Amino acid sequence: MIRSAGTLILSLLLLLVPSVSGAVLYIDINAPGGKRMPISLPDFVVTGGDAALARDLPGVIGGDLAMTSLFDVIPRQAYLERIVPEHFLARPLSFPDWKMIGAEAVVIGKVEVRGDQMAVEMRLYDANLGNMMAGKKFSGPVRRFRKMAHEFSNEVLYAFTGVRGIFDTEIAFSARPKKGRGKEIYVIGLDGRELRQVTDNRSFNLFPRWSPDAKLLAYTSYRTGVPQIYMRDLAGGTDRLVVRHGNSKSPGSFSPSGDSLYATLSVGGNSDIYRVSLTGSAVRKVVGGWGIEVSPSVSSDGKRVAFVSDRSGSPQIYVKDIGSSGERRVSQAGSYSTSPSWSPAGDLIAFTSLEKGRYAIYTVRPDGSDQRLVISDDGSCIDPSFSPDGRYLVYTLQKRGYSELKIGSVDGQWRRGLFRGLQAVGSPSWSPRQ
Amino acid sequence: MKSSVGGKRVLGALSVLLLLFAVGCGKKEMVKSTDSAPGMASPSGETQEQIVSETLPSQTAMAEAEAGVAVTMERPSEFSDIHFDYDKSFVREDDKLTLREVADYLKANPGASILIEGHCDERGTAEYNIALGERRAESTKSYLVSLGVTPGDLPTVSFGEEKPLDPGPSEAAWAKNRRAHFVLR
Repeated sequence: MIRSAGTLILSLLLLLVPSVSGAVLYIDINAPGGKRMPISLPDFVVTGGDAALARDLPGVIGGDLAMTSLFDVIPRQAYLERIVPEHFLARPLSFPDWKMIGAEAVVIGKVEVRGDQMAVEMRLYDANLGNMMAGKKFSGPVRRFRKMAHEFSNEVLYAFTGVRGIFDTEIAFSARPKKGRGKEIYVIGLDGRELRQVTDNRSFNLFPRWSPDAKLLAYTSYRTGVPQIYMRDLAGGTDRLVVRHGNSKSPGSFSPSGDSLYATLSVGGNSDIYRVSLTGSAVRKVVGGWGIEVSPSVSSDGKRVAFVSDRSGSPQIYVKDIGSSGERRVSQAGSYSTSPSWSPAGDLIAFTSLEKGRYAIYTVRPDGSDQRLVISDDGSCIDPSFSPDGRYLVYTLQKRGYSELKIGSVDGQWRRGLFRGLQAVGSPSWSPRQ
Repeated sequence: MKSSVGGKRVLGALSVLLLLFAVGCGKKEMVKSTDSAPGMASPSGETQEQIVSETLPSQTAMAEAEAGVAVTMERPSEFSDIHFDYDKSFVREDDKLTLREVADYLKANPGASILIEGHCDERGTAEYNIALGERRAESTKSYLVSLGVTPGDLPTVSFGEEKPLDPGPSEAAWAKNRRAHFVLR
C-alpha cells in the first residue's frame, strides 16, 4: 500500500540544481564514536493547515537522524532565528546566528496545505559555507507527511555521508490481533509509527517476507486449515497461492531478481528447501537430506543460501553454494542456532543461538569465521533481519509472556524499541529500500 | 427480509454485514493511501461506499474468516494426546497404548479418517517448530501405519508452536504442549 507506485507520487522536484552540491563526505559513516554533526531543525513555516506540522515534520527528521548516532540535534530553545516565508525566496539565513549556537547544518522547511493535500519544500544548509547542500519539494496527501520527512532525512544523510538512508523503510511482522487467538501480518514504519494490518482472515498468518521491489509480501497462512504460502500484492490487496507441492510451507527469501522464492516445503514429514518459480510452476529442491532443513536466506548475489539443519543432532546454520554439492556449517556457538539472515553486502550472516539458557543474536562470516555475539538482553533475542544498508538488525525480544520488536546496530553499540503494542509479536522482516 | 427469515438468519446476516464493514474499512484505508493525485480526494463516506460494493461478492472472505477462527481453536478429540521429548519426534513407550486405541478405531470404522496435528512448545524458532511439528505428526502416522492403518486415512498438519494447550512458560506447560492431537473426521 504505502509502497505502491501510486503512493510515491509525492512528486519530487529538485530545486535550484546549480547550487546543490554532490555527496560531500563530511562524516565517515563507518567511524563510530567519531565527531557528531551538530544540526538545527527549526520549526517549519506552515500556511493553510494544521500548525502542529511546523514541529511534527522537523521532529520526524530529528528522530531519524538521532538513530544514526552521527548527528546531534541542537535543542530549539537555543535557536536565535525564526524561519519565515522569505527564507524560501531571496532572504539568506543568518548563518552567524546558527554558528553561534554551534550548528554546522540547518534544515528549514515550508509547508502549504490545501484540503487534504500538501506541498513541502525542505532545504539543508551548510552553516559554515552558507550553501544549500540539498533541496527537495514533495507533494502528496497530508497524512503522508511522515513519509516525506523520512525521504528528506535520507537526503540529509546522503549529503553528509554519501550513503543512502533507510528512514522510509518498513518492518513486516506477525502478531496476535487485539481480538482473537490467531495471528495476522502487520507492517510498521521504521520510526514505530503508521502501523497497519495486512491480513485479516483470523487464522495463523506467519513469516512475512518482502519481495526485492517491496511490492509483495510472501507469508504462510492457515486460512484453509493447513499452512500454505500466499503472496500479497500490497497495492492491490490481493493474495495468490504460490505453491501446491508439499504439506507445511514457509517462505524464506526471494531471489535477488524477484522471480522466485526460496521456501521450506515439507513432504512426508521431511522439511527441505526448494526454489519456487513465481513466473511458472517450477519447484526445484535446493537443499535436501533426512534432517529438518528450514529457513533459507539467500545472499544478495543469489549464489549462496544460508539455512538451518538439524543434521548434526541439533539445529545449526549451514551455507551452500547453490547448484553445488558442498554445504558448510557456519554456526559454532550454542546448542540451538536458527533464523539466518544474510547481510545485504553479503559479508555477514546474523542468526539466533541458544547459549547458557538464553537466546541471543550472533553474526558470523559466510566461511564460518569471526563469530560474534552482537545483541543479548534480559530475555530471548530471536529472529534477526538485516536492514537494507546492513547497519542494523530488527529482532524480537521475548520475556515471560511478553514480546516486542527492537532494532539494534550490528556493531552492538545502539538499540531501541520499535513496537510493543500487540501480543505475540514476532518474525520481523525489514523491507528493501524503495 | 426480516419477515422472511428467522432470528438466526438475521443474526447471520448481521454478522455478514459486520464482516463486510470490517473488510470495507480495511480496503478503504488502502484505497485512500493510493489516491495521491491532487484534486482526486473524495470524502471518506464516498470511498467507503465504493469499497463496500466491491466486497459484496466476497462470500469467500466470510467463509475464510470463519474457517480462520476455527483453525485457531482447540478441536475436541475422542483420544488422548500423545507427547514428545524436547526437540524430538519419536513415539514414546508410554503413548503406544493410546496409538493402539486410535489404530483399532480406524480399523473398526472403515471410511473414518483422523487428522493428526503436530504441536511444539514455544521455545525455539517458529519456523523450525513448524517443521518439528510436521515430523511429530508424521512419526505418529508411521507408527499407526505399522499397526495396520491405511496411510490415506491419516492426514497430518503441523501447527508448530502456534496452538499451545497451556500458554504458561514452565516445564510442565511445555511438556503438555509438545504433542500430537487427534481429530476424528
